[in-house]
Amino acid sequence: MSLRTALIAGTAALCVGAVPAIAQQKNPLVILRVIDADNYDPIRSTSTAAAEVAYMLADTLVSIDFDMKTIRPLLAESWEISPDGKTYTFKLRKDVKFCDGRPMKAEDVVYSVKRWTNPASRSPVANRAGPLKDVRATDDYTVVYELKEPYSDLLAQLGLSFASIVDKNTVEKLGENFGVQGFNATGPYCWVSWTPRQEVVLKKNPHYTWGPDIYKDPKPQIDQIVWRVIPEQNTLMAAMQAKQADITYYMPYIALDTMQRVPGTQVQQQKNYVYDAFMGFKVDKPVVSDEAIRRAANMAINRDAIAKAVYFGKGTALHSLLNPNVLDFDKKSAELMPKFDPAAAAKLLDDAGWKVGAGGIREKDGKKAAFLVYGLRNAVNPRISEAMQADLRKVGIDMSIQLWDATVGWGKLATQEFDAFLMSYPAVTANEALNLYFRSTQAPTPNRMNWKNESTDSLIAKSTTSTDDATRTQANGAVQRQLTEANVWVPLVSEPMWLVSGDRVEGAKPHGLYGAGLYKGLDIKLKR
Amino acid sequence: MLRHTAERLLLAIPVLFGVLLLGFVLMQVVPTDPAIVRAGPTATMDIIEAIRRDLGLDQPLWRQFLIYIGKLVQGDLGVSIINNVPVTQELGATIGPTLELMLASLIWAIPLGILMGTIGGYYRGTFLDRAIMAVSVAGVSVPVFFLGLVLIWLLGFQYQIFPFTGRGGPLWTWEGIKAIVLPALTLGGVFVGPVARMTRSSVLDVLGADHVRTARAKGLPERQVVSRHALRNALVPVVTLIGLQIGFLLGGAVVTETVFSWPGIGRLAVGAILSSDLPMAQGTIIVLSLGFIIVNLAVDVLYAVLDPRVRNA
Repeated sequence: MSLRTALIAGTAALCVGAVPAIAQQKNPLVILRVIDADNYDPIRSTSTAAAEVAYMLADTLVSIDFDMKTIRPLLAESWEISPDGKTYTFKLRKDVKFCDGRPMKAEDVVYSVKRWTNPASRSPVANRAGPLKDVRATDDYTVVYELKEPYSDLLAQLGLSFASIVDKNTVEKLGENFGVQGFNATGPYCWVSWTPRQEVVLKKNPHYTWGPDIYKDPKPQIDQIVWRVIPEQNTLMAAMQAKQADITYYMPYIALDTMQRVPGTQVQQQKNYVYDAFMGFKVDKPVVSDEAIRRAANMAINRDAIAKAVYFGKGTALHSLLNPNVLDFDKKSAELMPKFDPAAAAKLLDDAGWKVGAGGIREKDGKKAAFLVYGLRNAVNPRISEAMQADLRKVGIDMSIQLWDATVGWGKLATQEFDAFLMSYPAVTANEALNLYFRSTQAPTPNRMNWKNESTDSLIAKSTTSTDDATRTQANGAVQRQLTEANVWVPLVSEPMWLVSGDRVEGAKPHGLYGAGLYKGLDIKLKR
Repeated sequence: MLRHTAERLLLAIPVLFGVLLLGFVLMQVVPTDPAIVRAGPTATMDIIEAIRRDLGLDQPLWRQFLIYIGKLVQGDLGVSIINNVPVTQELGATIGPTLELMLASLIWAIPLGILMGTIGGYYRGTFLDRAIMAVSVAGVSVPVFFLGLVLIWLLGFQYQIFPFTGRGGPLWTWEGIKAIVLPALTLGGVFVGPVARMTRSSVLDVLGADHVRTARAKGLPERQVVSRHALRNALVPVVTLIGLQIGFLLGGAVVTETVFSWPGIGRLAVGAILSSDLPMAQGTIIVLSLGFIIVNLAVDVLYAVLDPRVRNA
């Protein structure tokens, strides 16, 4: 029996061996990623894995250009803002249809916004819609968005996946299962199926002609797209090299140079990508509440070395609180950021009364210069934290590291158990990042620093409610300078977006809005 | 024998209840909160609280457990609290691939392991024996993910013979068979070692026994002596080992499933436990413990087949 089995297996292997390579059909376009989303309802999931698919499934009123700053028309062909900055009037395109063929009208936009902001929807991103007073349709193609007070970030936020326009009938039919068992919206691709942890299948929206003008061709070119999950990065790497898939932007950094040498493979970087890694201090915890410790940490950590070693030279060291690509980035605050200088950091600690004690760890008033950092156990955090630990040790600060698996991690990062934490996040404007992470009302999450400062609050409020660019930029700049001087964060690295596409693919260009590397998925063609 | 089997099955009910209770308690120990998982990293506390209320997580633990058991008795496994997919649907979709993978790895690994062990035991001390033992020690020691990655590199990437990005289709299709080869080789690869080692030592014991000498004295051909008289008696401990290992394979194939993106129940269980998705985790626990119970029952039945003393007892 065993001999026969072995023979059959052997023969089978030989037969298979005669087939030269795995044959590729013309369709579908296979995109690889490492993690699946919890669900695909744009207002309920904040994961990148949901956003990157949501941008293909659904459209937003406005779109965001490859520069990550310029707001462009999408479902709204034009808009007007009242002089007091409280009323936005959107004129909608008249040719837009949902995947099921029903024409999209103003009431669909009203429904989607109301669903997003309704407390019963439990949307963790509802506050991004701003201080909404009312949203209404004045005719079939005009939407009036009225705010209680001006909200300078509104247009940028309306360009994010959370503000996707969805079909009321499908939402009501599916209820909690919207984005789980089905979907219907006006995106370039339509929902076919979702198998959790495996794949999302999309097909071309046959009606779609209204793609944003940042693309050459407003119509989708691919009949079917499969977003496939490959949880193991080494497998993903081998799958791209063996041409078992077409596109990925989750390639391990170490493999990018190798991929560049594979014939026919294109490796492109999105230079304007905003996804920043940083370490934040809980400013009300002992030791890290001392500004000298925080400043010394900012001076002792060699972020250039981290960008080079951990990201294999593919990341960019971040020498400012916020990413230089975000709107209202403040150059002056970048200059205030202390330069890498371990000797100066040691001197600063000496002057602040932190004297070197036993084992080379500094002490002050009987307290050791030690703190605990929490973070997610992802591909880069172990090495980033170890590098930081070594750097800090050189100036006499003892950092202990505790990394958690992703799902447990967010629960842990909501506690008060740690003194500092590692995180990375996307943003489109400086105002958005500041609003989200530094307002006192945002503590304990997402303001995990417990940074409660009246001047910060009032400056952010001022920039958020400003109606002219100069006031907004000025106020945002002032907050950035204040936070930089207080060393609330240790900015580390600007994570890179590298799009790898195989030899079947033509026209793919990395976008990267909120981590969504392909954004609408337009202009992409398959050669075979 | 039938009565024995029925008794064992009835006994499984309190065992399952205990497993569920234990699973529930352990899930409370996992340091995470499903409401936080669902709300995501940028949510404020009021949203997290609201979601917690919606999910009934603000109720006392005993009531949560009673509500769950109450529904379970009515045959309702519930829906995932993370993505709202019915637990039965997810289980149904993952049991198939897991069983497929188990079948495909055991169908070659067990016969090969037994064959290797028997040869090793029979030619004890020879070069052949040493070689076989070296291979099985390697099989026991090599981590399964390493074997998987090496196979991917060699047969998936270097020679591009087999795909390795998930299940290709049902086992009776060509795509399905091609896609299962590498994961089945990986999972079976770590199975051969223990089976071969156990068979070898067991065969060694039996070959020295009186009845084997008698069989030889009767003038039976050597082949028959080994296969009928020695191997059959040697198989009892091997069957025990295989039973235990299969139970382990049910849930322990997570690494293989991850490396090959195989949509099995192991990955489902780990994901559900990590996100504190109680109904889903309990669902997988039910299936896995049932699987374990059934495999053990099968092992008991096999004892009877192999050993007349058990049969007549």
